[in-house]
Amino acid sequence: MSAAGAPNLELVSHAVAGRRVLVAEDSPTTHEILKLLLTQRGHHVDIATDGEQALEALRLNRYDVALLDFHLPKMNGLRVASTVRSELHGRDLPKLVAITADLPGLLAHTEDCENFDLVVAKPLDIYRLGQLVEEQAELRDEQQTESLEPGSSQLAPSPVRAAVPSTVRQPFAVEGLGYDFLLWPEDIDVRRLSARAMQATLGDPRFDAILVTQPLSVEALTSLWERKALYVLPVVDLTGTLGRMADFDGTDLGATETEQLGRLVRDFQDRRARLHRDLLFSEKLGEKLLARMFVANRPLTAAFDPRYRHLAAYDVPLGRRLVTREAEALCEHGLVKREFFERFHICPSCDSYRLHVREECSQCRSSNLSEEQYLHHFRCAFQGPEGDFRRGDELICPKCHHELTHFGFDYDRPGTMIMCGSCGHAASEPSVGFVCLDCGVHTDSDLATTRDVFSYHLTDQGISFAEKGGAVLGYTRDVLRFADLPLELVVALNAAAKLYNEDKTPFALVNILYRNESEVAAEYGARRFAQARDLFIENLRNALPKPSTVVKGQSHDFALLEAIGPDQAQVDFDHLKERAGRTLSVDLGVMLQAFGPEDFS
Amino acid sequence: MWQTTSDGITYLLSQSGESLLRLFWFVAIFEIPRYTLGFVSVAALSFRPNAERRHVAGADRVTVLIAGHNEEDSIERCVQSLLEQSRPPDEIIVVSDGSTDRMPEKLRQLQERALIKEGHCTQVRSGKSAAVNLALRRATGDVVINVDCDCTFDRHALKKIIEPFVDPRVGAVAGNIIVGNADRSLMTRFQAIEYLISISQGKQAADLIDQMTCVSGAFGAFRRAALNRVGGLDAGGGEDLDVTLRLRSAGWRTLFAPEAICYTNAPETLAVLVRQRFRWERDAVRLRYRKHSGLMNPFSSSFSVPELLHEIEFAIFNVGAAIIFPIYIMWLFATYGDLALMVLIGAQAGMLVLDSATFVLAALVSPKVKALPLAPYVVGYSLFNGFVMRFVRLAAYLQEWVVEASYRDTYVPSKVHRVRR
Repeated sequence: MSAAGAPNLELVSHAVAGRRVLVAEDSPTTHEILKLLLTQRGHHVDIATDGEQALEALRLNRYDVALLDFHLPKMNGLRVASTVRSELHGRDLPKLVAITADLPGLLAHTEDCENFDLVVAKPLDIYRLGQLVEEQAELRDEQQTESLEPGSSQLAPSPVRAAVPSTVRQPFAVEGLGYDFLLWPEDIDVRRLSARAMQATLGDPRFDAILVTQPLSVEALTSLWERKALYVLPVVDLTGTLGRMADFDGTDLGATETEQLGRLVRDFQDRRARLHRDLLFSEKLGEKLLARMFVANRPLTAAFDPRYRHLAAYDVPLGRRLVTREAEALCEHGLVKREFFERFHICPSCDSYRLHVREECSQCRSSNLSEEQYLHHFRCAFQGPEGDFRRGDELICPKCHHELTHFGFDYDRPGTMIMCGSCGHAASEPSVGFVCLDCGVHTDSDLATTRDVFSYHLTDQGISFAEKGGAVLGYTRDVLRFADLPLELVVALNAAAKLYNEDKTPFALVNILYRNESEVAAEYGARRFAQARDLFIENLRNALPKPSTVVKGQSHDFALLEAIGPDQAQVDFDHLKERAGRTLSVDLGVMLQAFGPEDFS
Repeated sequence: MWQTTSDGITYLLSQSGESLLRLFWFVAIFEIPRYTLGFVSVAALSFRPNAERRHVAGADRVTVLIAGHNEEDSIERCVQSLLEQSRPPDEIIVVSDGSTDRMPEKLRQLQERALIKEGHCTQVRSGKSAAVNLALRRATGDVVINVDCDCTFDRHALKKIIEPFVDPRVGAVAGNIIVGNADRSLMTRFQAIEYLISISQGKQAADLIDQMTCVSGAFGAFRRAALNRVGGLDAGGGEDLDVTLRLRSAGWRTLFAPEAICYTNAPETLAVLVRQRFRWERDAVRLRYRKHSGLMNPFSSSFSVPELLHEIEFAIFNVGAAIIFPIYIMWLFATYGDLALMVLIGAQAGMLVLDSATFVLAALVSPKVKALPLAPYVVGYSLFNGFVMRFVRLAAYLQEWVVEASYRDTYVPSKVHRVRR
């Protein structure tokens, strides 16, 4: 496969501006690699092999970023950082990034740790590190521009404290507990992030939680997910408005709650440290959600919440619709699995789930119903509502005027009638209907469509993805990987490849993707999707020219066309899709991708 | 044996008219008049101007009432066939009478699909009369039509059955009932012939002289006001005969609509047929001689000449014939010894001729019945009706008189039997 293995040298062209970087690292291998990498990206790199050298270099030169190993000979990284921070200010002070294999060891020095702008765990992801250095440098630029703007407050000695706005505000009780909170809306809100918050988006492990101090909407919370790394911080809600979406309700803080908060922050810290950086800095919402599930160490649990039109909310600070969409996509890749929560009926007019259920008249839909028992007078076969018989406390047959005196011998009550007070219609049982509480539209119960809501659990695969990153999956979405192919196909493919090698007989491997899988499954159920997919495959098998092989895969299917090249194959795709999809009652959103022998070199 | 036969034939051929009458007095008294009545009526029918009843009666609102017990399989087909009518009903009301199958669910579906207006379900069985009365109370039509679930209808059946109601004196109209499963078995073929003669033709004839006395429960129409005035149906069985007699007593005319055709499934086996006829005959006896005995009593307020006519007809040709027939046979053997058998055969031969003639005539006035395939079975029918059914009738009458068996029919719930009039 093409782009799978070899390092991609194209990265060079991405470098924006050359930065000056100091690398303090005692291992020659590491600093050689770092130097090579950073130089390739267009940066100027100096090397220091112990703490004293590093301090010296920092005092002499002006760097944008300094990468300091924690365990340096002569003077450790922590001391270098604290010294530098006390001596240098403003433009002279570079961004200090700690590199360590002993993350807990470093974090134990809570105080000194604050002297670093960022902590990066070993083993290093060298590609990521290049990006990181650039991000840090940009951040530094921004902060310095900020501080130079007239009227803005001066940078405080510690950059961590610097971004806290100086507006006078009574601190919340929870702030006195010694955690490092990012405040909403001071540090994070919909439009902007403070420098501290940006720091956090770089994965800085010092931040403990996000503290929500003002009521905010579900939509606003989405901004947490548009950035990196913020979504793995616990959310502490002081407003009481987030409900289950927050990880901790900080409105009432007693001894037990304080202890719980401590445990929560610690657990998040630990799990965050175990999270692979692929997921910490992912661009994809689905992966972010998976990261969040992993760090929070609990499934995405749906629960009733009458405040929302869709009646269900998940215990993450993200709207139900996005959670569902992303979780379903993760399901398809086997990273999470569903657990049925509830089936909701949906208003056909406004899509709300808030439906009022009622018994009603099948004719006029009024709920003004009353139940009337009817009596059967055996002697004359009159059968009618009890009201017809009532004369004071006596029951007199309206037909033969005999008094009914003996239940079971004169008469009995064979059944009931549901009478409508609005239109007079009578039925043996009431209909059931819904009235939408949001738009007032009425629906018959059997006409209302339903939608299933699920909770989601991480699968073992999902957990190892969270811990080991994208490499563990062996494939990325929509890109063909050999390992993902069914055995049957591999055999056929080998045969085709052999032919190709012998006499250049071309072949085309067609990858069949179903883009509408989640929509179809949500609308009609997964079984219906599977049936439609089987039918499509069967139709395709018949529609394809021989010789060809159609093989069912996991998340997508394949067709191997012999004696025909990918370009040739592509010509027929629209026609094939049309023919094979003609008898299907749902639109699978089929996408066909053709690969030829060249793609397998 | 051969000697006896030839002797018998010689003997029969040597008789004069007067002595023949002495031999075949049973046939002369109980059979000839009945057939003569039939022939005369057919002649009259063929001369009757056909357009007499062609009035437009579209303004009347029509309700169809269906009462059924465990009819989950047939109810939908029945309703569909009603909605296929050239003159569809304005409303259909169905009562599931204590069904234990999925009929209530079926009714709910039909109602949801707006095929029926109302469907009611009793939890315990009340009997057909009570079920119809419940539906009647919910009906809003000027004419209510009572049908059985297992019936299907000619496309114009409803239009034809409501036409006579143009005459305000008409209280009820009987539909023409044809056996729909004639080709199923010998028994159903015999019954097809029987229905053709006794209903398709017989009721037409009776109608001519205002003697149509039973609006069958399988397919009958009633003026709702008239039916309500007599209190709806009384506790069964035989409620169809009963309500017709009561309507007539109340002064309403009851007519027959030969073109209002309904197809019913006749019992396919002898055992079921016999059980059905036992029930019918017992109920007829109970109603005519117990409940409606006043019709024959000149001092009763309900006495009237037209009612007396059909009571006498029933007394002579049904009850009388059934009782006298065995006596006739015994008399024959006592008087003529070996020759009696030949006399009987001779009598049967004569009957066969009469039956065949009747069959042909009935077929002529009932063009909707496919009579030709039934023709070969007329011989069998004649024997079956002359011997088997006559004894079935006799047994039913005796049973009813001696042990009042109709009071134990399972057609009516036992709780009703206890107190029914």
